[in-house]
Amino acid sequence: MEYVNPEGLRLDGRRPMEMRQLRAEIGVVSKADGSAVFEMGNTKVIAAVYGPREVQNRSQQSNDQALVRCEYSMANFSTGDRMRKPKGDRRSTEISLVIRQTMEACILTHLMPRSQIDIFVQVLQADGGTRSACINAATLALADAGIPMCDLVTSCSAGYLNGTPLLDLNYVEDSAGGPDVTVGILPKLDKVTLLQMDSKLQVDTFENVMQLAIEGCKAVASYIREILLENTKQLESRRGVK
Amino acid sequence: MVGLSLGEQNFIKGGIAQDLRTDGRNRLAYRPIFVETGVIPQASGSARVKLGATDVIASVKAELGKPNLSHPDKGKVSIYVDCSPTAEPTFEGRGGEELSAELSSALQRCLLGGKSGAGAGIDLSSLSIVEGKVCWDLYIDGLVVSSDGNVLDALGAAIKAALSNTVIPKVQVAANASSDEQPEVDVSDEEFLQFDTSGVPVIITLTKVGKHYIVDATTEEESQMSSAVSVSINRQGRICGLTKRGGAGLDPSIILDMISVAKHVSEQLINKLDSEIAAAEACDEETEMDC
Repeated sequence: MEYVNPEGLRLDGRRPMEMRQLRAEIGVVSKADGSAVFEMGNTKVIAAVYGPREVQNRSQQSNDQALVRCEYSMANFSTGDRMRKPKGDRRSTEISLVIRQTMEACILTHLMPRSQIDIFVQVLQADGGTRSACINAATLALADAGIPMCDLVTSCSAGYLNGTPLLDLNYVEDSAGGPDVTVGILPKLDKVTLLQMDSKLQVDTFENVMQLAIEGCKAVASYIREILLENTKQLESRRGVK
Repeated sequence: MVGLSLGEQNFIKGGIAQDLRTDGRNRLAYRPIFVETGVIPQASGSARVKLGATDVIASVKAELGKPNLSHPDKGKVSIYVDCSPTAEPTFEGRGGEELSAELSSALQRCLLGGKSGAGAGIDLSSLSIVEGKVCWDLYIDGLVVSSDGNVLDALGAAIKAALSNTVIPKVQVAANASSDEQPEVDVSDEEFLQFDTSGVPVIITLTKVGKHYIVDATTEEESQMSSAVSVSINRQGRICGLTKRGGAGLDPSIILDMISVAKHVSEQLINKLDSEIAAAEACDEETEMDC
């Protein structure tokens, strides 16, 4: 099947190096300490952060840093075929673990000992790149909750089909069986915190694809920064500053 | 949720007794309702309802299936509610299962009628394609994104909105099928049928705090309740289902009084909900026409 037609357009009309449309909103779940909705094309994800708060399970409490917990769940209606079991399946458990480790690397946990930070991510619509959308949403939600972080974490995926590196795969391109590289970076510090790939790829092609994904992450980071600035301006005007 | 102090509890109870609740509403007033339809593009119908800070999403998916042997001329509907941990940290893992089960069975009771399928709010015979062989299976999924009390009413409203947003494709049955085989059905991509929702009821929950009942309680007010009665009423003013929750016993005359209060409130709610759904659908069509 042709994923990139001779004119260089993909199945949904994008160019190979073009990302899907990004949309984000902060503060959607009023009860949570911080929350955000993040959309990458048709993939829509809600993240809610509760914390820092008292540790629920005393045995897991750590005396010198905060405990970070994460749960990833997909809604029944998020995929094309209705899912029977929204949580607890192995893929959800793995993604929960991946998100937790990625966010733990950037939260300054030593500032909040003996406390717990819960990150809950709920997928409303899945169209490829849910892992990346979840990490981006979690970053925004943590920022909304005012939790100290050393940098934003942004994530994006890239693949390689029909001999072309493609940025930000959607579900159809992802299920084509080609390689799928998901990268998470700390943009200001220019460090990679998450790197996952499936299928096989030649080493020099891999470098190109990873570089493309990193560029995508930087684009997401500038968008996230815009959203946060906009949010801060609104908060300033509400509090009567200026 | 942080616990309430004695002073706060008395404030809530006193306010309700004086017909002035903490957010300024009187006892029988609903919070502002926002309805958005068509939020899940890959579902047959979907809606998102915000009742104050309570936020729920309902989606309807229609799939072809085989009808029940005992009711060959009726389609099947199944309702499933999931409580997302984003609403409440305690819903993490299996924590939300109890509430999900309670909400699912309450909704089934209110919308689907008895075991024989009689008296259902949703007309099951309209879902049948070939009697005894092929019918539509409707899967109604609810997701609680944020909860600030009165989740059942919000889910009922979301399901009503999602059903009015549902389009079921027209099906053509192959004419020469023998009576034993599964007939071939051709699902049309072009023509659709709008689902009929005039009979779908809304759910009104009356929460008894002290001597008075309130409608649309927030989480704080629900923590002070002695008992709650959820009544599902349709447009004709008929009762389609009844659930009582909470430990305190209620005098039968009080229950009858609550039912009549619910009937009175339901007229306004159904009108408000219908106008919101119509506005949301019109908004949806406008954005479609712009493309």
